[in-house]
Amino acid sequence: MLLPKFEYHEPSTLQEALKLLSDLGGNAKLLAGGTDLLVRMKRKIDKPSHVISLARIPGLDEIVPRNGHSVTIGSAVSAAKLAGHELLSDRFTPLAMAAGRLGAPMIRNRATIGGNLVNARPAADLPPACMVLDATLKLKSASREREVLVNEFFRGPGETIIEQDELLVSIDINTPAPWSGGSYIKLGARKTLEISMVNVAVMLTLQSPDGSITDAKIALGAVAPTPVRALLAEKQLIGATPSEALFEKAGQVGVGTCSPITDHRGTMEYRCMMIEVLTKRCLMQAFERAKSWRPGR
Amino acid sequence: MTEFRVLNSRAPRVDAAGKATGRAKYADDLTMPGMLYGAILQSPIAHGKILNIDTSKAKKLRGVKAVVTAKEAGLVKYGVSPARYDETLFAHDKVRYVGDEIAAVAAVDLETAQEAVQLIKVDFEELPAVFDMFEAMKEGAPQLHDEYPNNITAEVHQEFGDTEAAFAECDFVMDHTFLNKRQDAAFIEPHACIAVFDLDGKLTLHTATQVPHYVMRTVAMVLGIPVGNVRVVKPYVGGGFGPKAEATPLEMGAALLSRQTLKPVKMVYSREQVFLHSRARHQFYAEMSLGMKNDGTMVALKNKAVLDGGAYTSFGIATVYYSGSLLGGPYKLKAMKYDGYRIYTNKPACGAQRGHGGVAHRAAFEQLLDKTAVKLGMDPIELRLKNIMTTGDVTINELDMSSLGMKECIEAVRNGSDWNNKKGKLPKGKGIGMACGFFVSGAGYPIYRSDTYHSTVVIKMSEDGGIVNVLTGSAEIGQGSDTVVAMIAAETLGVPLECVRVTSGDTDLSMDLGAYSSRQTLMTGHATKEAAEQVKKQIVDVLAHEMNCHPSSIEFRNGKVLFDGGPGDFRHIRTNYVKEHRGWTDPPTDDYLTFKEAARIAYLKLGTLVGTGKYKPPRLGGAYKGAAVGTSPAYGCSAQVVEVTVDMETGQVTVDDMTDAHDCGLAINRTSVEGQMQGSLSMGLGETLFEEVKFDSRGRILNPNLGEYRIPTALDMPNVNCIIVESNEPNGPYGAKEVGEGAIMPTIPAILNAIYDATGVRINELPVTSERLFMALKKKEGV
Repeated sequence: MLLPKFEYHEPSTLQEALKLLSDLGGNAKLLAGGTDLLVRMKRKIDKPSHVISLARIPGLDEIVPRNGHSVTIGSAVSAAKLAGHELLSDRFTPLAMAAGRLGAPMIRNRATIGGNLVNARPAADLPPACMVLDATLKLKSASREREVLVNEFFRGPGETIIEQDELLVSIDINTPAPWSGGSYIKLGARKTLEISMVNVAVMLTLQSPDGSITDAKIALGAVAPTPVRALLAEKQLIGATPSEALFEKAGQVGVGTCSPITDHRGTMEYRCMMIEVLTKRCLMQAFERAKSWRPGR
Repeated sequence: MTEFRVLNSRAPRVDAAGKATGRAKYADDLTMPGMLYGAILQSPIAHGKILNIDTSKAKKLRGVKAVVTAKEAGLVKYGVSPARYDETLFAHDKVRYVGDEIAAVAAVDLETAQEAVQLIKVDFEELPAVFDMFEAMKEGAPQLHDEYPNNITAEVHQEFGDTEAAFAECDFVMDHTFLNKRQDAAFIEPHACIAVFDLDGKLTLHTATQVPHYVMRTVAMVLGIPVGNVRVVKPYVGGGFGPKAEATPLEMGAALLSRQTLKPVKMVYSREQVFLHSRARHQFYAEMSLGMKNDGTMVALKNKAVLDGGAYTSFGIATVYYSGSLLGGPYKLKAMKYDGYRIYTNKPACGAQRGHGGVAHRAAFEQLLDKTAVKLGMDPIELRLKNIMTTGDVTINELDMSSLGMKECIEAVRNGSDWNNKKGKLPKGKGIGMACGFFVSGAGYPIYRSDTYHSTVVIKMSEDGGIVNVLTGSAEIGQGSDTVVAMIAAETLGVPLECVRVTSGDTDLSMDLGAYSSRQTLMTGHATKEAAEQVKKQIVDVLAHEMNCHPSSIEFRNGKVLFDGGPGDFRHIRTNYVKEHRGWTDPPTDDYLTFKEAARIAYLKLGTLVGTGKYKPPRLGGAYKGAAVGTSPAYGCSAQVVEVTVDMETGQVTVDDMTDAHDCGLAINRTSVEGQMQGSLSMGLGETLFEEVKFDSRGRILNPNLGEYRIPTALDMPNVNCIIVESNEPNGPYGAKEVGEGAIMPTIPAILNAIYDATGVRINELPVTSERLFMALKKKEGV
């Protein structure tokens, strides 16, 4: 398959990129890792007349910790970098885990967090992880700047609230409270190079290692047109004493949030049952990590 | 045991450096001055009459050099088996599947060719289509080919022994059914070729094929070119596994376009087109009954097969015969009855794939044996050993097991896997299973009826005596046949492997049927050995004359010449040689005369030294209809033990360990044998757990890519404990026989039997997705 013809731009500053984006209107697409865009262009699903590369814009591929309070992740940070990042693995565990399960090593070296969010595929790995971490997305255009919560970002398969002239610059995440732990589980056929049949991200916060749950966040992917937070299930958990039975209950309630489809990857029925099982497992893993939380360096 | 100097070693492949550095050329790497690019128009609908084809717009597009349809290509029917030639290069009256070829374009670049294809306007009258083999067999189903009513490509009815009488004497009968799914071979290199006509009307076709010889014949026949005017050259090939064992519309289309334009034309399938062309594993439905004695003696087998073949026959006739014939062993049976049907449907044609025709029915049968062992309360290994054939046994359908290390393989995997300490002793969710299988080591007969040699080989010495040039039409497709041929030549001549240079895959070099039915080692090996012996005799005779000794006193060993086991007095030969090569930097200084000096002496006497070898099997098999399919000069066999973990909450299967023993007669190259074993197991694992070509309701493939058609990744594949068993095959060169396909036969049932051991659930439909297994577990709980 061949790429259709297009004009290629390689701006070296963010301002330049935003100006191009604004000038070119709907005729331009942003190129980061290209793992989605180039495939779609080859298959003639996307036919932009202009492609704007983000490769030369400084800073977009950096992970910047902010004094232990938060972290700012540039939108062009690769999944490989997320997966291998010590601070993310330690404090923002679901994100590092999800990034480690995205595609396979070669894809992880190219694919970016920004691309994974903006493409808004229902089965994508990183959105549920960002959702349980309450990430804030910074969107910029030539004329304005705004911050939106990731939970308000997704509209439908391939659709987000991002405007045509906007660029996702960075993802900001506050450091979870002490005695927090998280996890991510993905169900696919193979051990790697998979599109999720169901995925689950979880963050739990405990009052103390043997205390009750003070905060809980569960996000599910590939089970609805957008990744969804299982708010009712979270409610069940907050204030309760953690136990396997509780987590099982949360899984059962979590299914209610979902409206999975039957397709050639799996049936609705199976997906629902797996949401239950995997939510429980993911909560168990998050709980284990929360209990063994250690003060940061 | 014979002491080998080259054979049975772990010599690096002769093509290793070229492939590791990227220097090895594959078809798509080739370019030629003035080369055009071709593209094919394929049917967007599954079944329809072609009312009109309008190519005028495509022809007018700037850069387009030729547009061809059935009008230009003609309507010569072709296929694989002459008994069922049911294809034409381009569809003319109707299209029969999404992907059926309608036209082709040659243009100055690929973009233009692809654009031109889009400009060809075809008017169809859409016809009802049928996608399911059982539906296609029903009265009133849409018919694909008028010549073959009820959509039956071929049916087979065979009976050996008196089945009814044999079943009557059984204590009990076990039944089983099994369904696999259509597969893709998922080789890494998509089909690619360049065709070029010279000004004398001779065609050279460079193509990624397993069978240069058959491609040569088919292209010549379809395009009406004298066969001697077609030369097929195979560059390095990135895997075949069966689907590249027949001529493709790509090759014929490129040749036709080259004839129209008198320019070289390159054509390459996209990955999606590889799926659309298919010719990979059929979908099989198996239904069988096994008659048993209470003491564990197998008595009689009834076996029924229905194969979904897609829109054309391809290898299908052989496939449907193999599903029956390959159950004749490796267990003794008194009687066997087989009924097979190969059915046309409006999908891409299926053909041969590793373990041709045998894999699904072997899986069904070995699962049936596992069930039988459970019923008998017998260890499945003991059940198999009780009924096993050994060297010299002949199956009830007259396949001669001239060597058979089946028992040794079973014992090797029993010990190698620690079976006795695991079987029946693993916790729930963990399981162990085993299975056996065997396969031909080269089909006993060519695909077309002929007395042709199956392989000939030419060995030509360089005039300096230093290089042994092996010239062969055999097909190195990644399996390592060039290395095998080189090692056999080196061993036979008594020279180091580095002295041998192999040129292969060219129909101008020698006759060779190619790489299918696991035949290169045995057949090309024989021809290589004979050619090398001829060359050796010429050198020995001249040398004996020069040294005034008896030929029998001369031995070549590792590039040195021994006379009665010692160096001998060869000074006059060396003096002459050194004189001839004054100024050269590598004068021979060895204490012994070198092979090079000896070969030089022979050249001076006889001119260029050439030896030729040839091989064809003797008449094999029975006299019944279809007896040819399944015959072979030798059979490889294997046993496998697989250990799995099943996640009881999700149904996910992890294969933890695989122990494989294969009897390859003699391992020419031990590393290559292990490579074939590992590759077979990986393919079998994928087929068991992941692989399925899926279609939508209109016959379009849903997953024509390697993202969603899932083959195992490195993380899905466990380490394999490979155990090589060597039975010294009397009909093989130096005792060698196959490993390329036999090794896949037990993999699927071994995994399925292990899953049963882990869960108590018997899955009889592939692939075993987590969902399929989970639902089965739930159903069992519910009961």
